[in-house]
Amino acid sequence: MILASRQGKIRLVKWYTPYTPKEKTKISKELPPMILSRKPKMCNIVEYSDHKVVYRRYASLYFVCGITPEADNELLTLEIIHRYVETMDTYFGNVCELDIIFNFGKAYAILDEMLMCDGSITESSKKDILSHVHSMDNLESRDQIERIMS
Amino acid sequence: MSSLYAPTNEDVKQRLRPFGIFFEKSLKDLIKGIRANNETPEKLNHFLAQALSECREEANSPDFNMKTNAVLKLTYLEMYGFDMSWANFHILEVMSSSKLQQKRVGYLAASQSFYKDPDILMLATNLMKKDLKYTGTDDVVKVGIALSGLSTIITPSLATDICDDLFTMLNSSRPYIRKKAITALFKVFLQFPEALRDNFDKFAARLEDDDTSVVSAAVSVICELSKKNPQPFIQLSPLLYEILVTIANNWIIIRLLKLFTNLSKVESKLRPRLLPKILELMDSTTATSVLYESINCIVKGNMLEEDDYDVAMQCLDRLNTFCDSSDPNLRYISCVLFYKIGKINTAFISQFDKLVMRLLNDVDVSIRSKAIELIEGIVDEDNLQKIVLVLLKQFVDQDVVLLQIGGFETTREIPIFIPEQYKIKMVNTVIHICSMDNFANITDFEWYNAVLWDLAILSQDLSDKFLGYRIGEQLRNIMIKVPSMREITITTIIKVLYNEDINNHLPSILKDCFWSLGEFSSFIGNGDDLINLVSKRRKYYPADVEVILIPSLLKIFSNWCNSSVGVDAEKIKFVLLNLLSYLEPLCYSKAFEVQERAVQCMEFLKLASEAMEQDAEGLPLLLTDIMPSFFNSYELKPISQGTQQKLQSCILVDCETPFLSEKELQAVLTQEEHDDDDEGLFSEDLLLIDDSSSTSSQNHDVNVHDNLKAANDETNLLDNEELELRKRAERESNPFYLSQNNDHTSKASNQLLDFSRKAGEESEAHLIRLNKSDNGDEENTERKRKSKKKSRRRVHVLSDEVVVDNNSQSPTPSTQSLFTNAPSAKGKISLKIPTKLETFDFSKPMSSSPHDTGSSDIRHQSISGEQEELERLRKKFEAQQLEAHGTSDNGENNEETIVIKKKKSSKRKNKQTSGKKSKRKDNADENSKHLGETVI
Repeated sequence: MILASRQGKIRLVKWYTPYTPKEKTKISKELPPMILSRKPKMCNIVEYSDHKVVYRRYASLYFVCGITPEADNELLTLEIIHRYVETMDTYFGNVCELDIIFNFGKAYAILDEMLMCDGSITESSKKDILSHVHSMDNLESRDQIERIMS
Repeated sequence: MSSLYAPTNEDVKQRLRPFGIFFEKSLKDLIKGIRANNETPEKLNHFLAQALSECREEANSPDFNMKTNAVLKLTYLEMYGFDMSWANFHILEVMSSSKLQQKRVGYLAASQSFYKDPDILMLATNLMKKDLKYTGTDDVVKVGIALSGLSTIITPSLATDICDDLFTMLNSSRPYIRKKAITALFKVFLQFPEALRDNFDKFAARLEDDDTSVVSAAVSVICELSKKNPQPFIQLSPLLYEILVTIANNWIIIRLLKLFTNLSKVESKLRPRLLPKILELMDSTTATSVLYESINCIVKGNMLEEDDYDVAMQCLDRLNTFCDSSDPNLRYISCVLFYKIGKINTAFISQFDKLVMRLLNDVDVSIRSKAIELIEGIVDEDNLQKIVLVLLKQFVDQDVVLLQIGGFETTREIPIFIPEQYKIKMVNTVIHICSMDNFANITDFEWYNAVLWDLAILSQDLSDKFLGYRIGEQLRNIMIKVPSMREITITTIIKVLYNEDINNHLPSILKDCFWSLGEFSSFIGNGDDLINLVSKRRKYYPADVEVILIPSLLKIFSNWCNSSVGVDAEKIKFVLLNLLSYLEPLCYSKAFEVQERAVQCMEFLKLASEAMEQDAEGLPLLLTDIMPSFFNSYELKPISQGTQQKLQSCILVDCETPFLSEKELQAVLTQEEHDDDDEGLFSEDLLLIDDSSSTSSQNHDVNVHDNLKAANDETNLLDNEELELRKRAERESNPFYLSQNNDHTSKASNQLLDFSRKAGEESEAHLIRLNKSDNGDEENTERKRKSKKKSRRRVHVLSDEVVVDNNSQSPTPSTQSLFTNAPSAKGKISLKIPTKLETFDFSKPMSSSPHDTGSSDIRHQSISGEQEELERLRKKFEAQQLEAHGTSDNGENNEETIVIKKKKSSKRKNKQTSGKKSKRKDNADENSKHLGETVI
């Protein structure tokens, strides 16, 4: 499974299945134009090679998610995307594209807390995710203080 | 640092570095730099290259902060498609840092770049083990990070090493750790299934955890695992059912439904318990995704039986409302589900024709193309024309107005680009729905002819050249199956032939057109014009078309020469010359088949023209008798697809056994010496004609033979026998005849049977031949019986027109088989570009999972036994098996290559036969035309 957010340009990519670099570039080159060319009235599910691609648009960002057609629930995937955006929204406080660009590490952390290694969701509670990320941040900042003190 | 943005700050940063302030900045610099250099690709590339080289330097620096920073930047750059595997070692260093912040960066980078790098993973294993040690409250997060990282970089050896640690963590007091451990275990199980077998209960206990997120994780993991192998989890179903009934969390419910889908695929006993609950859930839930998943579960979990109309209707009603919703996603997925339900039983969806028609006009092309798949379920006699009209309209619109169609939902027009894929799909669907069930839905074949003509015109611009074949095939099928329509159909075919554009863009359609023209050339009054047209055009088609075209020309010629209206000899000569000049370049064709046929044809026609020269008045026998006899021996009847292949599959060509033993050969040779000259001459003559007889089909061969026999009174049975002997001697010396001979037997013609009996040569090969021909006969009669049965059934199904012609031999594949055939083809389309890696990756867990099932069974037995020693022994055995597996796999591979090599070598050995083989194929092919195979 892949999850990438983009606006023509790629902002965040997470590969859940190993692909070769060549395949990676191929996919990231082909997908955005395909999705950008779709009209708002069209449905958010596209077939792409042997995958289905579910995407959702938030402001200028497209969240794109590849799923296996037989096994995954398309609506649920949309929900997951939505939940991810919601979580980031609370974390950053009204998230915008720049937040994700500059704090991509954080965005990854939230994603990691939310999705299991192969992309199936584990944590649906927004509160939990946030508390974990915050606790990590706390520890980190404590690290930083310690480092400066030393 | 990304100096372009703030080069002067360099010194300041240097001084600030010990305070950790630089960290954010430099990544920010990079990002800002990328944004600033965005104007042209060259500039950006230059900047990125520069940044990358900076990262390289920094990663090598001894300062840990700097290194971390570089790794972070590299991780960012990796998203732009830069390979960062060279930095793997640096990443490892960062991972091992004691600072959480740095560790986090390290793990992030590791999860992005550590795929399948055995060296680095080995080093990582030790680090992992250390990080997983849980030492204090602060370590919760550290362990969490390690666990998340672990799941992306796990290997079998790593899995074996740490699974015990993970299992102890399952009992951690912290839900967070428990949850992370469960998710990490998922990957461990995939790599090391023994872990699951040995600790199944410990793992399953997590389903009853107090913390919902832990339960959720456990359910998810089991769900994912059951995708690979549902068997071991069936025993958990009561517990899972309990959770399904009690829990209110929709996320988990969906997971559970998925899980049950997987389980009930293998365990049908689940159905009676689950189905009522799911239906209840469908009524009670308000979430569409749950509703969708419920229906999905029913459909995919084999819970919907073919005759279960109640449940089907309940599902379909919901889907119907989905389809009417304004949300395109809902429309799309319900379309997909509709199709799946239709696959179970077409009757379920047949009443929804209005809905499908509506969906066909949807704004979204992807919904349309899903709706197209549904058409075959709803089509019937009455609405066929309407549906085809709808589809064709979409074609014309878009062809005329540059791929645009007015959207309708609102009043404003939404232009829609219709992709070629969709158009191809439309053509295929139109053909499919019209021809399905042996044209059951078509009442008006004139209309269908017009449709095919439209399709031929429309398909010219499409890239899928296969469409041409399909359309041609349809024309041919109508030609054969609907005799009353032959004249009209042939005019369509001629229309196609005359159309220059189609000739240029869609030559593939001509293959079957030419064949039909040749086969039914008796319908054509002025065959000479047709031949002249083709030869004048001087256009040469692809080899596969040409192969058909050559004999077809001959057929047309033959029919025209002998048509009842007296044809002028001069005219014939003229046409003959035309034909010869057309064929001449084909004799040098690169395609073997074309070349051969052209040469055969040429030789025969040359003979004919020579004969014409000699005999100015009247037509030579060669043209009046012999040539028609090539083609007119059998009447064409449609047979079902694959029948011929079945026939051929039981033919074994024995190229090894000599036809005559040494002794017999001597006997034959001596006998031959006694033959008088006349006969010798005659047989030579015969052979000559054999060679020149254009189409080399065995039937023709025999026919020529028969003709000559009739012509020559002297030939009697005895002669025949001797002839046969002599021929056989020839064959012995000239391996070329082998194939022909075998073909005689293979085609199981009755003539041959007589023939060989008369010959009375009881050699070994002969016996085999007889047997074979018997077999073939049986096949034949069996086939006839079969087709009779089927055709009888057809009488019920079909509308009048078709019944008449089809009660001959046209078995119809049943509705269901058609319906199931279609999806497989569709599957192919979607699987066009299967990623190699994915299949590779899948094979691993797959191969481990069956292992897993077996082992879990073993485990249960052992629990009752409680004998540790036995258990240990078993484990050992298991490991051995694993090893054996690995090696045997290799062995298999080796064997395979050897086999291939063998084949090759045997090919080389039988070089002679290969030539023959293709000849035989040719014969068979030709013969098939005579049996008149129609592919339905």
